[in-house]
Parts: sequence; C-alpha cells; structure tokens
Amino acid sequence: MTSWSKMNLPDPDQWSGLFWLITSVFVCVESITNDIGTPRSPGPGFIPFWSGVVLGMLSIALLIASIPKREVEKRISSLWKGMAWYRVILVLASLFVYTILLPRLGYLIATSGLLALLFRIMSRQSLWVQVVSVLLTTLASYLVFYTWLGVQLPKGILSF
Amino acid sequence: MDVLHNLFYGFSVGLQPSNIFYCFLGVLMGTLVGVLPGIGPVGAISILLPVTFRMDPIGAIIMLAGIYYGSQYGGSTTSILVNIPGEASSIVTCLDGYQMAKQGRAGAALGIAAFGSFIAGTLGVVGLMIFAIPLANFGLKFGGPEYFAAVFLGLTLVSYFSRGSKIKAFIMAAFGIILSCIGLDPIMASPRMTFNMLQLWDGVDLVSIAMGIFGIGEILVNIEETTATEILKTKIKNLFPSLLDWMQSIWSILRGTVIGFFLGILPGGGAVISSFVSYAVEKRLSRTPERFGKGAIEGVAGPESANNAAASGAFIPLFTLGIPTNAIMALLFGALLIHGFRPGPLLLREHPEIFWGVVSSMYLGNAMLLILNLPLIPLWVKVLKIPYRILFPLILLFCLVGAYSLKNDIFPVLVMIIFGIVGYLFRKFDYEGAPLLLAFVLGPLFELNLRQSLLVSKGSFLIFFTRPISAVFMTFGLILIILSVAPILHGWPLRVSNRP
Repeated sequence: MTSWSKMNLPDPDQWSGLFWLITSVFVCVESITNDIGTPRSPGPGFIPFWSGVVLGMLSIALLIASIPKREVEKRISSLWKGMAWYRVILVLASLFVYTILLPRLGYLIATSGLLALLFRIMSRQSLWVQVVSVLLTTLASYLVFYTWLGVQLPKGILSF
Repeated sequence: MDVLHNLFYGFSVGLQPSNIFYCFLGVLMGTLVGVLPGIGPVGAISILLPVTFRMDPIGAIIMLAGIYYGSQYGGSTTSILVNIPGEASSIVTCLDGYQMAKQGRAGAALGIAAFGSFIAGTLGVVGLMIFAIPLANFGLKFGGPEYFAAVFLGLTLVSYFSRGSKIKAFIMAAFGIILSCIGLDPIMASPRMTFNMLQLWDGVDLVSIAMGIFGIGEILVNIEETTATEILKTKIKNLFPSLLDWMQSIWSILRGTVIGFFLGILPGGGAVISSFVSYAVEKRLSRTPERFGKGAIEGVAGPESANNAAASGAFIPLFTLGIPTNAIMALLFGALLIHGFRPGPLLLREHPEIFWGVVSSMYLGNAMLLILNLPLIPLWVKVLKIPYRILFPLILLFCLVGAYSLKNDIFPVLVMIIFGIVGYLFRKFDYEGAPLLLAFVLGPLFELNLRQSLLVSKGSFLIFFTRPISAVFMTFGLILIILSVAPILHGWPLRVSNRP
C-alpha cells in the first residue's frame, strides 16, 4: 500500500490548487452551456466563464508556486495533527441531522436535542446541570426569537 | 456651514431614544465581540443581520456600525490581558500591551488603549464628515467604465493587502465573483449555475455565506483546539494614564489617527494593516526603539488609535461611492440594500438621514465605548472567563435561527452549513475569507458595469483605458496583479528541474 507521505500531492497547497483547477474547469464548462457571447454582446455565461479562466490560471500559478525546492516542508496530514478533529465531525453531523429533524419535530424538540449534544461535546459538567442548561437555553431562545422578534419557527409535532 | 447644518440634522436623528438604544446595543455587542476571541465582528454582524430585518432601517445600520467600531475597542482587552488578540487588528497590541500587564501596568495599557481609541474614533468621524461630501461629488462623475475599474482596483487592493499568499487571495476574489453569478442573469434573466434548483434562482444569500464562513467556520476551528487560554492574574489599577504616559503617547495617538484614517479609506487597508504600519512608524520614530516589545506604551497607543480611526475611514467609500472596502463594509452594503437603500453618491442627497444619523451616532458611540471600556473592565475580564464549551452552542444556535429566519425555510440553513465547512477548510489551508465576501458583494456591480461598458464600446476593452479615471484605476490594478504574481512565477522552471 502506498504510504501517505509517498503520494504525489503531499503539500496542502498542491491539494487546494488541484481543487481550484477542477472547479475552474467545471465553471467554464457550465458557463459555455449558458452562452458566453462575445465582447461585443456578452452573454449570461461571459463573466462566469472568464472568472473560471482566471481561477484556472491562478490555480496553476499556485501549483507552480508550491513545487518544493528540496523536500516537502508541510504535509496535508499535519493540518489535523494534535487536533480534536472528531469534534468537528460530530458538530457537523449534528447540524445536518438538525436540518432534517427541525421541520418534522419542530423548534423546541429539535433544538433541545441539538443543544444536549453540543453541550456534551466539550463539557465536563454533571448531567443535571446540562439538562437544566439545555432546557433554559431552548426556552430563552424560543422567547427571544419567536415571541420577541417574531421569527416563524417550525412547530412540527407540537402545536406551538 | 453645510457640514454643521447636516450634523445638527444628524443629531436630531441619532438622538432619538430608539436610535440611542440601538447605538448602545451595537457598541455593547461590539465590545463583547472584541473581547471574546472565538467570534469576530464579521461573524457577529452576519449573525445579527437577519434580526435587523424587522427593525427600523436607520436603527439597524446604527447598531451594525456600532458593532464594527465597538469591536476595535474590545479587541485590545484580550491582547493586553491574555496575549491573544480579540481581533486581527489588535495583534500588534499583544507585543507591548501584554508586556506592560506582566510588569503590573495592565491598567495603564488598558487606559491608554481606551483613551487613544476614543480620540482616534472621534477624530475619525470628523474626517468622515469632511471627506464624504467631496468624494460623493467626485463619485457622481462615475459611469459604467469608472465603476467597473473602481471595483476591479478595490478587489485587487484587497487581495494585494491580504495577510497570507497573494495568489490565494486572488483565488478567493475570483471564486467570490463566480459565486455572485449563481442565479438569474441581471440583463437577460436566464438562470445560471442553478443546477435546476428553484431556490438558487435568487442566488446564494450573502448572510448564509457570511455566517457559514465567519461564524460556523470559526467555531469548527476553535472546537478542535485542545489548549485552554489563561488570563494573566494581575491587579488592574490606575486605568487613568499618568501625565508621563500621556506625554509619551499623545503624538503616537495623533499619528496613529492619521495613518489609520487614510489607510482605512483604501480597499484592503483597513484596521489590521493600519495598526501594523502605526507600530512600525512609532518604533522608527522612537529615540529608544529597544523598548518596543518590552512594554512601550507608544506601542499600544499608536496601533489602538490607528485601528479605530481606520474603522471610521472605511465608511467613506461605502457611503460615497457605494464600494465596500472590507468584509464588514460588504455586510453593511448588503444590509443597506436589504433595507432599501442603495449605497453610493446619491445616498447623501436622497437619504441624508442614513449618513448623518450614522455619523452622529458614532460620536455618541465613541463616548459610550469610553465608559464601557474603562470602569467596566472588571466585567469584561469576567466575560473572558466564560468557557468556550458554553459559548459555542449559543453562537451556533444564533446562526441556525438567523439563517432559518431569512426565508422561513431550511435551505439557507443548509447553504450556511456547507459554507461553514468551506470556511473551516479555508482556515486550514490558509485562505482568507474577506476577499471572497467582498468579491461576492461587488460581483453584480462588477458584472453589470463591465457588460454595459462593453455594449457601449462595441466590444472594445479600450473604453477602460481611454477615460482618465478608469484608466488610472485599471493601470494601478494591473500593476498590483503583476507585482503579486511575478515573484511567485520567477524561477519556476528551475524549481521543476530540481524537484527531488
């Protein structure tokens, strides 16, 4: 198996340069379908196309600039070294689940669930303190956003 | 006399009880945002923008502006007491501010930072009043080519002055323009890059992008940090600087004000660069430069004055030319549009209550900030002790409800979360979000004026070089691009051949 360090694109700038190059190609292709037009009569795809071209040129410049002189100084894995990256995944997963459950369960239930999880991620406090914090925060936010500011929060399975 | 007459009119707007309240709320939140390292003014303004939709427009703009200049005051507190800048514009304050705190002079450092900020902020507003009307009259001469060239130069300057890699900043600007093209074409009204999604016909929402990149993205980066911050245990006394402190600092404050104000007007200049320039100038002019970095009070007074003056200067291009020069001004530009006001040379004539109302509120706000930042320092120190584990769920909740309230729909929330991931990766890979946000906001202006100019010139790009104002802007912008890209590409074939 090829080790991470022996892969051809180990530098973060090379990864991101490649990403932008692919994005630029995608934007250019998409713009062509929208009609680029000519400088005399620019079409809807004119600005996106030329912005895509500029993005492509810049990504190539980034790739060139990130060619190491001797050996790779910084690898992509170093960006997450010593970091609690699992918290990022947990928070993102809970946010996506929240967007699915919010219209179905309603603001009060979905938000209580989300806050319970978020307070748990970094907290070292007792369960009771967390339960009280979740309930108080949910109710306070409901009063501020729904009652005071008039935001139409989803009711879901509850009638309020 | 016109200025005085307008100022009195402004005070008649700014002194209305509701506007005083919004001004206070803005500067209070600004100080809070400045003190808390986990969230910046861009994140805070984007989170609060949806809340202002239901507010009186003048009150909303007064409050949002208050958050901006208020955050410049608060940023120094963390720099001095924790050695962690609350805002990027207070980075340089750490150098001497923290050293002063370690020597038991935290009070003097906090005091001179607050007084310097007050003097610079107030003088900055005077400058704003003086320069706004002539610049707005100058802006009336602008046609399509001039506007396109001004936007082009603005984006180039922002990318050129960005902190990290210039290429990455230009990439961000190009990507921002592309994002602004999503939705209906402004001339032919045909959908572009909407992927058959009706929700994208109106384009991507500015607030979702800003909250994602600057709110969620910031949180994701912070929660994976495993180190805790420690507040310096020192007694804060003598907040009123001594006569000697004043004598050492007064010229630094005045120099910082001038530097900050004029750099604040320039796109990309802003509070961060002006604070660094001010520090460098003070060190250069000092008879004892060796004191810098070891607790020199001028090293606190100059940069803290510069960042506040820059905050005032940054309003000039927004209100007079309709061109935001940094990410916060881009959000205020969006806020003005949402509330039905078009920023630009005509704003001062058609809606003087907005400009002069904000100007008068800035005088009040600066006075409020002095009171908030001096006697209430112990309170802000307590705020600093709020653990991030409690803070981040609350910020996330604000973001979620804010995004939902945009259209009472889950789609903007999803867009915000996606841009949260994007913002997190930007930070990981050293990309700055500001050029993207600015390009996104200026994108429609950029596109419309370019296409209209080309239609008028029958496809000739020479139109941008045959009119004097646009020719100067374009030439300057192109020189900056060449200066940015040339050193990077220089010698690349050699590097390819030497590659291991």
